[in-house]
Amino acid sequence: MLKILIPTLFLLPTTWLTSSKWLWPTALTQSMLIALGSITWLNNTTDTGWTALNSYIGTDPLSTPLLVLSCWLLPLMLLASQNHLSSEPMNRQRMYITLLATLQLFLILAFGATEMIMFYVMFEATLIPTLLVITRWGNQTERLNAGTYFLFYTLAGSLPLLVALLMLQNNTGTLSLLIIPYAKPLLLMPFGSKIWWAACMIAFLVKMPLYGMHLWLPKAHVEAPVAGSMVLAAVLLKLGGYGMMRLMIVLDPLSKEMVYPFIVLALWGVIMTGSICLRQTDLKSLIAYSSVSHMGLVAGGILIQTPWGFTGALILMIAHGLASSALFCLANTNYERTHSRTMLLARGLQIALPLMTTWWFIASLANLALPPLPNLMGELMILTSLFNWSAWTLILTGIGTLITAAYSLYMFLMSQRGPLPQHMLALPPSYTREHLLMALHLIPLLLIILKPTLLWGWFAC
Amino acid sequence: MLSRFTRLGTTLPRILANSGVRFVSQSQKSASAGSATLSELLPPQDSHDHGEVNHYVKNPDYHGFSTDPVVDQWNMRLAFFFGVSVVLVIGGTFIHYLPDYGMRQWARREAERLLKHREAKALPLIAEDYYDSSKIVLAAAGED
Repeated sequence: MLKILIPTLFLLPTTWLTSSKWLWPTALTQSMLIALGSITWLNNTTDTGWTALNSYIGTDPLSTPLLVLSCWLLPLMLLASQNHLSSEPMNRQRMYITLLATLQLFLILAFGATEMIMFYVMFEATLIPTLLVITRWGNQTERLNAGTYFLFYTLAGSLPLLVALLMLQNNTGTLSLLIIPYAKPLLLMPFGSKIWWAACMIAFLVKMPLYGMHLWLPKAHVEAPVAGSMVLAAVLLKLGGYGMMRLMIVLDPLSKEMVYPFIVLALWGVIMTGSICLRQTDLKSLIAYSSVSHMGLVAGGILIQTPWGFTGALILMIAHGLASSALFCLANTNYERTHSRTMLLARGLQIALPLMTTWWFIASLANLALPPLPNLMGELMILTSLFNWSAWTLILTGIGTLITAAYSLYMFLMSQRGPLPQHMLALPPSYTREHLLMALHLIPLLLIILKPTLLWGWFAC
Repeated sequence: MLSRFTRLGTTLPRILANSGVRFVSQSQKSASAGSATLSELLPPQDSHDHGEVNHYVKNPDYHGFSTDPVVDQWNMRLAFFFGVSVVLVIGGTFIHYLPDYGMRQWARREAERLLKHREAKALPLIAEDYYDSSKIVLAAAGED
C-alpha cells in the first residue's frame, strides 16, 4: 500500500519543483508508474480476502478494482487537461495537478480504509479538491451554483451517516470492516432502527446518485472541467456504491423492508433519466444523465443484496467508470474545438474527424452495453437478480435498457453523422494526445472482456 | 514524418506534401459559399492573437502536448511508452499470470477431465444422490 501512497503523496512536491517546461510529462510519467504499482493489488492470494493489510488500510476483492480504476484515472485526467490548461499561469497549472493528486490520495485512502470512520473522513475529504476544481476551473458562471449543489447535497446526506456510524461504534464496539460482518445485528427501537438504516444509506444514495437526489450531478458534471467530469463520473459516484456495499452487510435484517422504496426509485430513475437524455441539447448534460441512469441500475443491484446483484453492481461500476470517462473526454475534444457543448453545433464530425469517430463509436457501444463488453455483463447480472426478486422489475429494467440504447445511439448519430455545419471550417485534426487518451480508456475496457473475474468482487471464488 | 512515405514511392509524399490544408476541402473556389482554404482563414500573421491558434502551422508534427516541439515529442514518447508499453503490456502480462484465484480454472479443468474419464469407462457421469443415502437417518413413521 505504501508503494502507491508515497509516490502519490510525492506527486505534490513533483508538481511544485519541476520546471515549467517538463511539468506535464513528469507528472504524467509518475502517475503512470503509480498506476502500474496499483495493478499489483489485483493479486489476492489470502484466504480471508484482505490483502496488503495493516492496522489502517487494506484491500479486498471489492475495493481492488475500484482502487485500480482510481489510480489509472489520474494519468488519463492529466492527459485530458494538458491542452486547456496550457494557456494558464504556471501556478494555476501546478495547483490543478496538486488538487488532482490530493484527490487521488484521498480516494486511495477511502477505498483502502478498513475502518468506517476513516472511510467517512476520506469520503468527505474528496469533496474539497473536487469543489475547488469545479468552481475554480469551470468555464461558465453556473459553476458556482454547481459547486454549491454538489457540496451541500453530499454534506446534507453524510452528516446523518456520521451519527449512524457513531451509534454503530457504540453498540458493537468496533467499526472495522474486517470484524463488522461477524458482529451481532443491531437491535434498536423499531422506528429508531429504520431511521438509523436511512441515515446509513442516504449519504451513499445521494452520492450514487439515486433518482430523487440526483440534481447535483448534471450541474457538477457539466460545469466541471474535463478532469473534474472524468473523476466525478468514473470514481466519485462509485464511492457511494462502495460505501453502500460495505454497509449493507451490517444493515441486515432491516433491509428486507427498507430497500423497497429505494429499489423502485432507482429503477424508475433509470427510465426517467434515460428519457431526459433523449431530450438533451447539451452533450455533457446527456452524458451526465446517462451516468445517473447507469448508477440507478447499480443502486438497484446493491440494494437487492444478492451475490449476483453485488457482482453485477461492481462490474457495472468499473465498466461505466471507463466508458463514461471516455465519453466526457470525447465531449471535451468537441468543446475544445467549438467552445460549445450544444450538440447541434458539432454535427457530422465523421466527415471532419473520421478517426475520432472510431472512438465515439466504441464509447457509445460501451455506453449502450454491447456484448461482450463488461457493461452488458454487469447489467445482465443486475437484471437477473432483480427479476429473481420480482418479475415486474423486468418491465422497468427492460424499458431502461431500450432507452439506454436509444440515447447512446442518438448521441453518436447527433455528433458524428449528418451534415457538417457550414460555420465550422477550421477544425484542427485530432491530436495524438486525444487518440492516446481514448485508447487508454477503451483498451482496458476491451481487455476486461478477457478476464472478467478481476471484477467479480467477493464471489470470484 | 511525411518523409517516411518515400518508402512507397515518390508520388504519394508529393501529394501529401502539397496538401498542407488536407483537412479542408480542396475544391476550386467557385460561387458556392462556405468553402475556403485554411490559409485564408488563418493567415500567418494572425497566429499570435487569442483566437484559434493552429499549432500545426509552426510545428507540423504537433502531437497535442506542448508548443515546444522537443517537449511535445518527448511528452508523446513518454505518454505512449508508460501508458501502453509499461502499464497496458507489462500490467496486462502481470494480470494474465495471476494465480488461479479460488481455483476456478482448476475446477473447470478437473470437471472436464473427470467427464472424459467417465465417458470413456461408461461410468455414470455424476452420482444421482448428493448425500450418501446410507447416512441419512429418517424418523420412524409414528414419531414426531
